[in-house]
Amino acid sequence: MLTFFRQVSPGWSRKESDTILQELSYGQFTVQVLADGFRQVMAHLRAGKFDTWGWYQLARRADELAAVQNQAPGLLALEHLKERWQQAGVIPYEHQIKTAERVIHSMHGQAILADEVGLGKTVEAGLILKEYLLRGLVKKVLILTPANLIWQWYQELYEKFGIAAGIQRTRWDWEYANVLIASIDTAKREPHAYIIAGIVYDLLIVDEAHKLKNSSTASYRLVNSIQKKYCLMLTATPVQNDLKELYNLIGLIKPGQLGSYQTFKKRFMAAKRTPKNPAELRRILDQVMIRNRREEGEIRFTERIVHPLIVTLGPKEQEIYKRVTEFIKARGRRTGLGNMLPLITLQREVCSTFLATALTLEKMLVGLSQDELAEAAALLKDLAEVKQNSKCDALERLVAQFRDKAIIFTEYKASQEYIRYRLEKAGYRTLAFDGSLSRGQKQYVRHLFQKDAQFLVSTESGGEGLNFQFCNLVVNFDLPWNPMRLEQRIGRVHRLGQTRDVHIYNLITKGTVEEHIMYLLHQKINMFESIIGELDAILLHLNLGSSFESEIMKIFLEHEETEQIRRQLDQLARRILQGRAAVKASSWEGLL
Amino acid sequence: MKELDGWRTQARLLQFTWDRDLAAAYGAELISPGSYRLASILRLIRQQGILSRAHIPHHFFHEPSIRKKVLAAFGTEGRAYVLTSSARYGQYLQLEISVEARGLQKKESLHTVIVNLSSGQVLKFALPPHLLQAGGVEPELINKRKCSLKQAYLRAAEHLSREFAGEDQSWAQKAREKMALEEEKLQAFFQGKTSSPEFAAKQEELRRRLQPVLAINALRAALVYAPLFHYRLVVVSAGGRERTKTATYDPIANLCALD
Repeated sequence: MLTFFRQVSPGWSRKESDTILQELSYGQFTVQVLADGFRQVMAHLRAGKFDTWGWYQLARRADELAAVQNQAPGLLALEHLKERWQQAGVIPYEHQIKTAERVIHSMHGQAILADEVGLGKTVEAGLILKEYLLRGLVKKVLILTPANLIWQWYQELYEKFGIAAGIQRTRWDWEYANVLIASIDTAKREPHAYIIAGIVYDLLIVDEAHKLKNSSTASYRLVNSIQKKYCLMLTATPVQNDLKELYNLIGLIKPGQLGSYQTFKKRFMAAKRTPKNPAELRRILDQVMIRNRREEGEIRFTERIVHPLIVTLGPKEQEIYKRVTEFIKARGRRTGLGNMLPLITLQREVCSTFLATALTLEKMLVGLSQDELAEAAALLKDLAEVKQNSKCDALERLVAQFRDKAIIFTEYKASQEYIRYRLEKAGYRTLAFDGSLSRGQKQYVRHLFQKDAQFLVSTESGGEGLNFQFCNLVVNFDLPWNPMRLEQRIGRVHRLGQTRDVHIYNLITKGTVEEHIMYLLHQKINMFESIIGELDAILLHLNLGSSFESEIMKIFLEHEETEQIRRQLDQLARRILQGRAAVKASSWEGLL
Repeated sequence: MKELDGWRTQARLLQFTWDRDLAAAYGAELISPGSYRLASILRLIRQQGILSRAHIPHHFFHEPSIRKKVLAAFGTEGRAYVLTSSARYGQYLQLEISVEARGLQKKESLHTVIVNLSSGQVLKFALPPHLLQAGGVEPELINKRKCSLKQAYLRAAEHLSREFAGEDQSWAQKAREKMALEEEKLQAFFQGKTSSPEFAAKQEELRRRLQPVLAINALRAALVYAPLFHYRLVVVSAGGRERTKTATYDPIANLCALD
């Protein structure tokens, strides 16, 4: 019976596809006589299944009502989701609604959503997806995202938009799920890439799309090969180092929008980072890219209030700290600045807990010389003998004043376990959150934290991918040296949806490297209280990125006196602030 | 209306209102626009009534008048006498069709098209709804179809296409212009390498997105049986020659087919 149906999308399962019975040209348009509805009628006829005339008439009325609703101008999704949003406490922002309307009505479903960090690009994409689903314009949807964001997408789509998306687990999921969330790293591997290439998607959404800036990567090739009707790319940094990145990204959405690369170079590139004809380029970019900025919108972020808490180490702790620092400096002088990572780790850990320090030192024993070995062994013995932990004592005193939930951040697993041990002993309910948890476990821990526990003790890796807007107290048990990592920590709670001011408590051990770090991050670059939206761009601009910690370590190794260290840190801070100004004033910032 | 959550449920009336006062006055459920409950009910209703049947009974028409009309049709040939008469049914397919004009925007409209399954012709008028009665009729009384249901659907689609072609086509023209513009950009991007599979894929994407399409889809259908009055007659000419004839009168189309 079905043999006369021409399959339009051969990659789909027959059940889901739009089949065309007949296609004809009529003047300006093409007529597609679809088989789906008719096939249902025939199936009923074959089964001898006749509905009553009453049902038929009622269904006709319902069709009319639905059709009228579908003709409504603006966004149907807003009306449709009203009840859900009231229950879930979601309030869409004006810029998100405007973005969704513009993408659907003016950009024909092809856009780079390039809002600054924290303005809710996922909500914008969800709104567009919901609208297209309601209007019946999309059926088959693929969302490609970094693996650590899959659950967050799933949850947002379900809770905020009532879209029950599938999560890709097996090779069969590509064909069978209508709305599928998948890791881009999985998708680019075989056999997945081959299967995906055979499917026609109505809508493709790519999160963290700046990862596609290089056209020679497998991710780029994958996205370029996907057959799609509409496409949304989400990134806060559509261009970082080179205008070619922007060209590549736009080439994925609308090849030809900027002409060939040679033409683009000739017309719009004075240098890698400097555009020619910026006004003209901006006009063209406006047709494919939407960038909302914090300062433009109606969004008011709540305050960040910083509370530095100075912890004085006991005499025994101070002595151990000095000896470990001496050991690090001596080793640094001996081995040079080439391999600094273990030393950086050790120097940071000694400001956290001695338990973490001891574990790292133990691992380092293998590569040490005879003299170093003796010193390290003696240090290990003394570390084990220190029973006092002034920082944890201070933490206990601090949390005793809390009337609400708090996230306690530490960089180290050993410190995490020790903190939990101490807090549980003091009678608090705590939860651990770290990179060893699976996606599902992370969601469950988040749920438990929201419902039940008082404190979530999280390591850095646990900071990515999940949002905790229901909590407004952050304790930095130890400070990461890299401001990006610090921003990620705070960003878990201080983001869109946070309704209260966020209090950040920093535990700083007096007379240690932490004091200097605090001096740099708080006093010099005011990291805690101001949102540095372009922080990643600044660090890239300064070529600091991952070498930021090494830069700081170098200062500590090369200088003894506090005065000297401060001078060096002042210089580094000046560089960061200049970088920030440069990035803000840089020609493409004017473009975007 | 039965609540749509199981056949065992008792029938009950559901009333929804957006107005708080009306809700209080009539005991109706107060809902907000875009109500999920209402949307769910509408969705469930739309899944029903995919295929139904109805008929128009013969007794709605005055047979002696019809007989008179038929006999009068032979007036020029001589005197006509009815030998036998029978009441039969002709089959019609009533299709509820959604037409989506997909250009830069999408516009949906609903149409009811009725196809005569004996002649394959699309009716230019609607069947009088007040005459339609629920249910089918005795199978032996139904005339055989000369047109398959698929053919009828295609005829209905053709009829709608012609109607749309005769109307304002600016929506399609705008989409075509946009498509041509985008295609130009695409060609510039590929720098003349238009025979590459990548170009073909991108062009196909463009077509899928911007090509003006009139998508015709049947939402539901009903087989409608309309009465036919069938007569066997003897016609006596002026010379006294007798001939046997048949005539079928379709009161819906007000047509008399003579044989």
